[in-house]
Amino acid sequence: MTNVSRRGFLAGASASAGALVGAAAGGLIGSQLGSDSATAAAELKAQTAVLKRKEPFTGAHQNGIELELQTFTNFVSLDLLAGADKAAMLRWMTLLTDDIARLTQGDPTLADAQPQLALGPARLTVTVGFGPALFSKLGLEHQLPESFKDLPAFKVDALKPEFSSGDVLLHVSADDPIVLSHAVRRLITDSMAFASVRWSQQGFSNAQGVVPHGVRQRNLMGQVDGTDNPAFNTNDFDNLVWIQDGPSWIQGGTLLVFRRIAMQLNTWDQLGRIDKEQVIGRRLDNGAPLGKNNELDPPDFDARDTNGLKVIPDFAHIRRAHATNPGERFFRRPFNYEVGMTADGNPDVGLLWTAYQKNLDTQFIPVQRRLDQFDLLNKWTSPIGSAVFAIAKGVRSGEVLAAELFA
Amino acid sequence: MKKIFAALTSTALLAAALTGCAAEQATGTADEKRVAAVSITDGWVRVYEGTQEAGGMTGGFATMTNNTDQEITLVGASSELAMMTEVHEVVMIDGEMKMQAKDGGITIAPGETVTLEPGGLHVMLMGLKNALLEGEEVQITLDFEGADDVEVVWPAKASAAGNEEYTGSAE
Repeated sequence: MTNVSRRGFLAGASASAGALVGAAAGGLIGSQLGSDSATAAAELKAQTAVLKRKEPFTGAHQNGIELELQTFTNFVSLDLLAGADKAAMLRWMTLLTDDIARLTQGDPTLADAQPQLALGPARLTVTVGFGPALFSKLGLEHQLPESFKDLPAFKVDALKPEFSSGDVLLHVSADDPIVLSHAVRRLITDSMAFASVRWSQQGFSNAQGVVPHGVRQRNLMGQVDGTDNPAFNTNDFDNLVWIQDGPSWIQGGTLLVFRRIAMQLNTWDQLGRIDKEQVIGRRLDNGAPLGKNNELDPPDFDARDTNGLKVIPDFAHIRRAHATNPGERFFRRPFNYEVGMTADGNPDVGLLWTAYQKNLDTQFIPVQRRLDQFDLLNKWTSPIGSAVFAIAKGVRSGEVLAAELFA
Repeated sequence: MKKIFAALTSTALLAAALTGCAAEQATGTADEKRVAAVSITDGWVRVYEGTQEAGGMTGGFATMTNNTDQEITLVGASSELAMMTEVHEVVMIDGEMKMQAKDGGITIAPGETVTLEPGGLHVMLMGLKNALLEGEEVQITLDFEGADDVEVVWPAKASAAGNEEYTGSAE
């Protein structure tokens, strides 16, 4: 079967979406090309390439973080039922671990009411985290990771409880919305003996096949977002994101800041391009810092124009957000959201913004304090949801997620 | 460390190189090139309103594959959880789906796979000794003819499906 489909892939590569699987095509010999069945198999393979891509479940870290954005996402926050204890948490995590192991590989769960909807992996990932309140409810304060606590209040906050906080996070993402919907349904069904849903927030990024890997996506204000992120599989990423000390359950885990950031597009669009670029400090066409030509060029915050004015204004977002030391950075993996519009045509849009880091006190909080004090972008964006979750380390085959925390 | 259910299969192992009747009990692992006479995967036990208190009854479900060249029959089962365990089927009686003990057990032809599922064949656990908690692991011994008995550990999971009325004579 593998042989047929690989041969088929080569036969049809030039005509179809071969780019998605292109690297796998090497080594086949042209003499086998040409049959109709091979062509049909190639077309089928190309048409379902997005479905077939699979992410591993096991590893040192949970998946869904150091990973190119999937197209669809759902953040589900749950609160423990009264009376749920550590033993219940362990039973819940046992069920979820088995569910995730199956769903990420494209298989139905045990007792799956719709096994037909487990169409395939579609890069499904499920990332499980725990909010600060869970630790106090279960008497697990001694297991808290360093710096992990509810965020302080910021002036810019306009937080709504229906978008904020929670004891347990299930962050589920996939490149197909039906695969995602089915997975969330299974995971939530298996959670209802232990918790109730506090909120769920759905988002999206670009479709697969639209932007090359490694390219930062544009948010719905039109800005290139994520430029300063640490690159995957680098010491820089490891040092900023993955926790290496503290309680054993978090070694290999990370701390997530989740913010639902609403955008006021009607007023934003009243600005011309130059004003928009001054607010952010970057060019809109290619994301280059003002005064530079390429997105990845380092910003020159001292540069002045011929009138003696700063090229990147004092109020510019990138000036306020820029790290004052190399450790004051984090990994952002934001999705967009859009949930309808008002009668006057103002869309309810924004970001499901995430920051992954080792330490809230030295990474997210100091940057956010600077933005809170003075960032002109705050005029068009406002955080309406906020939560923090400690993301447990990954599992090896046969282990249960966060078992050490609830043992 | 707890085992994940996906990894649990039967413990009745058969050396792959031997012919079917030469089954032998072994404790080897998969990398020793042994296959189970009967592979049992994807097992689970149903949690519903009827399992909230001791005395209730519920079903166990799984996929069973006969890896030998001879018939294998699941004739019964036992569990610490239940006073009584039977092999059941669901049949149409007077226009209603009812479940009852399956005469002769569940036969798996050589090389075939049989699925136990809500609304169909199942292992019936009756007279539960305690309430069943979701995520709990249930130990069951499956009693085969044509293969050694198999000990399995199945998770308890909620399922809305499988409310057929019981017509058997468990009393």
